[in-house]
Amino acid sequence: MAAVQRTLGAGSSLAQRPAALLVSRGFTTLPALHAVAQQQQKPRTPAELLDPNLVSTVSEEHRLIKHQKTMPIGSRRRRAALGSTANIPFEQLPYQCFQEARKVLAADREEKLVQIQTQRERIARLEAQDEAVSGGKAEKRRRLDSMRRHLEELKIWADINDPIVKKKFEDGMGDMNKPVYRFLANRKWHSYKRPLLLQRLTQMNVIPDVIPHLDPVMEVTATFGRPIVPGDFVDSRRSEHPPTLHVQPFTAGSKLVTIVVVDADVPDLERDSFGFRCHAIYANVPVSPTQTRIALREVEKRGEAGLAWLPPFAQKGSPYHRLAVVVLEQPEGVTLDVEALRGVQRDGFILRSFADKQKLTAVGATMFRAVWDEGTAGVMARAGIEGADVELKRKRVAPLPYKKKDGARYR
Amino acid sequence: MKSFWSLNGLAGTWPACQIFPSRTLAVQLPISRFSTSATLQARKGKGGPKKDKRIVLIRYFLNHPRTPRPLRFSRLRALRHWAIHRAWNLYKAKQRDREERDLERMYNSMRLACEELRQIGENGMPGGKDEGRLYRVAMEKRNIWQGAPIEYARIQTDWPSKSGWNHEWKRG
Repeated sequence: MAAVQRTLGAGSSLAQRPAALLVSRGFTTLPALHAVAQQQQKPRTPAELLDPNLVSTVSEEHRLIKHQKTMPIGSRRRRAALGSTANIPFEQLPYQCFQEARKVLAADREEKLVQIQTQRERIARLEAQDEAVSGGKAEKRRRLDSMRRHLEELKIWADINDPIVKKKFEDGMGDMNKPVYRFLANRKWHSYKRPLLLQRLTQMNVIPDVIPHLDPVMEVTATFGRPIVPGDFVDSRRSEHPPTLHVQPFTAGSKLVTIVVVDADVPDLERDSFGFRCHAIYANVPVSPTQTRIALREVEKRGEAGLAWLPPFAQKGSPYHRLAVVVLEQPEGVTLDVEALRGVQRDGFILRSFADKQKLTAVGATMFRAVWDEGTAGVMARAGIEGADVELKRKRVAPLPYKKKDGARYR
Repeated sequence: MKSFWSLNGLAGTWPACQIFPSRTLAVQLPISRFSTSATLQARKGKGGPKKDKRIVLIRYFLNHPRTPRPLRFSRLRALRHWAIHRAWNLYKAKQRDREERDLERMYNSMRLACEELRQIGENGMPGGKDEGRLYRVAMEKRNIWQGAPIEYARIQTDWPSKSGWNHEWKRG
């Protein structure tokens, strides 16, 4: 990171450098454009040439702060170390064992690339083959599927041993269009967040209550200002407006999804029970590995929402309400009729029936909870919902007729 | 900046300043030692109490943790370490794979040879009266282990040696 800064900091000799040297950049995450832009600037005064990554004496630091109005980066010890070391790219670091290891890894990668090529040729050959020869339509499709899966695996294996790939992924700079970064992201999600989500969904019985079964394949994060952990209690004022969702699929290609928000704990006083209520439906939302952010508020502003956001609320005295945000995948090439969705009845909404009717499959979910708080009355008033002045109370259970023992024995 | 220059200008006229250089020269700071233990102990043969080797060893094994300390590396060092580790794993996996394939190849060729034997009959031609005789004879395990069951036979390995420890061996 600092390495490139240093070559630039040298400044005066930049103009004479051959272009090839600039191409072999150091171990850096800075874009190349930045380097080019700096190169084209006019020669500057010595104080402006000071590099916040490299100044290591007190006077240099003072001059840097005074003229460039920036603080030096990192410790003085680090800056001195950076300044006195040669700028060698990570791959060329002169450690014998490391270099030998790189040779082994490169040879393996070459092998994998050859395998990928042969696998592609095999797939093409099978695709061209007559169905009768390859053992029927179903058999051919099965074989093609398995071969394509193997091809995807090979693509991952070709890059999985690259330390630069590892570093980029850890820095969050991975390109999700590449299979290896998708694989790493998926593995990371499976290591903690997905089990946590499933734990919350099953412990709070969202899974049998709202959806019969869920095997999440997309990471869904709801953001009310800041991201929520599945199961969080969200203040009613925070959830007054629809959240921004981050839906991260781990397979290539763009898909259309429908997002449904369901309250699973609506008190039903007549039946002395609880029911469901649909808080929002957004249909035909495109999602791909790189297009993950879904600002539901903007979707509403564009008028593309099926059912617009109804702020979650819990009446005073009612137990917490579970709100499930379910992402359902639409069948390939099918778009839902948004106008028709506007007629969906909010109260008594059953997600299973809806999904069955529209042929949707649940691919991801998250949840949060709502309770009565000091903002709920205002939220309900602004949304035009009645019932903020009602306090629900549990029915008094008639005590069992047993004789009370004297108090002395309970001491 | 300005005040600094003016101070320097004053220096020539200010009598107290004459004392300054001489004072700084006069103060000789003692060079600090890097070790705080007594110098006597560092001397060979002389210093320090005699230590019993057994006690030293006992103390070492009691106090030494069973696991080595965790590797603490900088980012790039850790990445290099990781790359080396992956390369080593890859190398070992490939080696294992090669050895397994080799064994498989040998097994297959032996199986084929046995199949050939089984089919050989009279005059080295397939079929006939004696078909399978050679195979049967080859599979017989009588008398090759001097009557002992085959399971008791020693598996032929390079190590340990057949003759046991050579106590007569001396460094040449």
